[in-house]
Amino acid sequence: MRATLKHRIGLFSPQGFLDGNNAPALLSVEDIRATESLNVEMLLVSLKKVIFFNRNGLDTFVKLLLHIRSKKRITVGFCDYDRKKYEAILKFYGDDLNFSLFRTQKIAELFCTSGNETGQNILVYHEDPSQRTNMAIELFDYGHNVIIAQSREEFNEKKQNPDAYDAVIEDTHLGFFGQRIATRVKGNAIIYTIGNYLDAGITESFNSAYHSNSLNVGFRLFIFDAHKVVSMNIHAMNFFARLASAAAEYNATICFVGLTFEKTPESFKNELEDAGVLFFDKMEDILGDRKLLAELGGSIAASRKSGRALNKVLVNALPHFIDATVDIVGMMTGSKAVKEAVEVSPLTLTEKSDRIAASIGFYGDIDGMVILLFPKGIARKACELLIGEATEDEEEILDAIAEFVNIIGGKVKSILAEKRIAVDITLPRTYSDIDALLQVVGDKRGVRVDLAFQENRFVFFLTR
Amino acid sequence: MLAQDAIQRFIEQIPPAPTVLRETLEHVSSGELVKAAKTAERDPALKSYLRSLVNRPIYGFRNEVKELSQIFGILGVSAAQQILYNYMLGLLSPASWSLFKLDAASFAELQDRLGRGWHAILLHLQIDDRETESAITLLPASIIVCEALFKAHKEEVTLLRSVKAIDYNTILQRLCRQDLFDVCTRIAETWEMPGRISGIVQAASGIKPSEDPAVNTLGKWMHLLLFYELSRPLFIEAGLNDFIDFQVEYVADIYDAFSGVMGIA
Repeated sequence: MRATLKHRIGLFSPQGFLDGNNAPALLSVEDIRATESLNVEMLLVSLKKVIFFNRNGLDTFVKLLLHIRSKKRITVGFCDYDRKKYEAILKFYGDDLNFSLFRTQKIAELFCTSGNETGQNILVYHEDPSQRTNMAIELFDYGHNVIIAQSREEFNEKKQNPDAYDAVIEDTHLGFFGQRIATRVKGNAIIYTIGNYLDAGITESFNSAYHSNSLNVGFRLFIFDAHKVVSMNIHAMNFFARLASAAAEYNATICFVGLTFEKTPESFKNELEDAGVLFFDKMEDILGDRKLLAELGGSIAASRKSGRALNKVLVNALPHFIDATVDIVGMMTGSKAVKEAVEVSPLTLTEKSDRIAASIGFYGDIDGMVILLFPKGIARKACELLIGEATEDEEEILDAIAEFVNIIGGKVKSILAEKRIAVDITLPRTYSDIDALLQVVGDKRGVRVDLAFQENRFVFFLTR
Repeated sequence: MLAQDAIQRFIEQIPPAPTVLRETLEHVSSGELVKAAKTAERDPALKSYLRSLVNRPIYGFRNEVKELSQIFGILGVSAAQQILYNYMLGLLSPASWSLFKLDAASFAELQDRLGRGWHAILLHLQIDDRETESAITLLPASIIVCEALFKAHKEEVTLLRSVKAIDYNTILQRLCRQDLFDVCTRIAETWEMPGRISGIVQAASGIKPSEDPAVNTLGKWMHLLLFYELSRPLFIEAGLNDFIDFQVEYVADIYDAFSGVMGIA
């Protein structure tokens, strides 16, 4: 069984009965290994479609999950269960419960960088006070407002008013957690929350692939919320200096907020400032000052000034990108594509209304970015296949489009791998506002291919 | 990927039941097992199938049973009808499987396991009815249909399923507005199987409950039985565990009774 990937969560979805005999067939070492390249933050097993499980069956899964957790420093566990299943797991594992349990996948998403809306009001309850506190800290780090119920009675009372909360968390357990740096997106700024003692371990807990992806897709302001940092050593300082130098290539800015220098040498501040890092006392000093925010690059996702030209290797790979796009759009919409025009030029669009767009970056032996502009009609059709019904909900359509470009990225990756060209793909980014996309692309030249699917016009743009 | 015409092409290619087989079934249906045996003698492939089936260790005969009249006598009317339908379904099976890692032996094992499980369920439900007993034989047709329709689209489905846990039945329904079980009904019609059989199998899809409460209950038991069997390592490795979507809520009210029948601890 292979994991599906949504946002940054890898999910296995077994069905039926789970015991010691069939668990190795449901989840194998190869299945787990296949997730290693997916760059996930969480790897979970959904128990939604499992009607029976026993301790032996779960043990097989837990062993494999814990192995990858120690290797990749990700959160692992189970999700999508009812109270009966939750109690059974607690009974099986008791004090040895060292993996996470999320009542639903939606709840799991609150604890990771999933593109979720921040600032959600979340009601939390757990019998164990330390679990309650851990959940509150994690959720706060991801930018949410947490309301903790101190007793079951208080929780039941508060729960009576569901409109007051965006999410209610119960029957959830955080196992070994917080190994990754919490990340959230605020407008066009990315906020990383760091804490405790920062040393060489930062290179492992910081998600470099996510950071590179963010730079590639146009984010230009990165804020480290360092209120909880006790001190940092020379290795961590060097890491941040390198990060700032790399960001400068993209005209991006790295800021620290709330870092104190009681236990961190004051000289580090000077060195980091020399590397281009800016320091602020409070988050509000940046986010509350629109003018400063614009100057730092956090008001729009700006384009890279020093754009790179298309090269021969990338142009040679172009047919694979086009074929993958044509195949997948054909699969999703049941129609055949006709290639209408190909040109090398900056991206200009006369028709912007009733269009949405998505981009996905790739890096490795070759690097670049694919942009797809969809008429909303195609987007809705793709949505129908993925969610099973026609929808006008823009968020749902954008979500389906993100999955759609992910499929295209996956197909390109496998085609290129056959040609011995190794690439990794980034997370997709979607745009409901075409002007925002044009700002990211700027005047970069790329290969533009116009495709027609029946009466629908579709634009494919490959650039670096 | 898949369009309506692919389903239509498949339906048009369903062969009619061979004359000998149809006549044998007619005799079995009217309880005339001697006549059924005599008719079956005319088809060497059917004869060989019945012989090899009855002489498997599970039937426990010390000496080889060769005579068809003996075989039909041993099987009895219900089992004979079920086995003849299984044989008929075998004629529709592909010579080699590519979407699922199955072969003739493993597919026959699935048919056999489903048949035995269904028999135990009907004993528990105190249902003694030939048509209901034979209904289980149509269920694996959904796997054959799935193989036939999707084998040319393996790669696209894999890509689609890398972002969404979506089963073949749902993909087919969303693309063609017909599902695997609708095609099974067309097979049953071509083979002139009683309407009750396809009614139970439609309910066993888990997504189309029957308005007839009795048929719906049988559909629930069959749906759960299917996933009980598809949870075996052999069939998980064949890729069958998620070929359709398991509807846990649909079977929730019969789960405890099912556990009792199957001896699940």
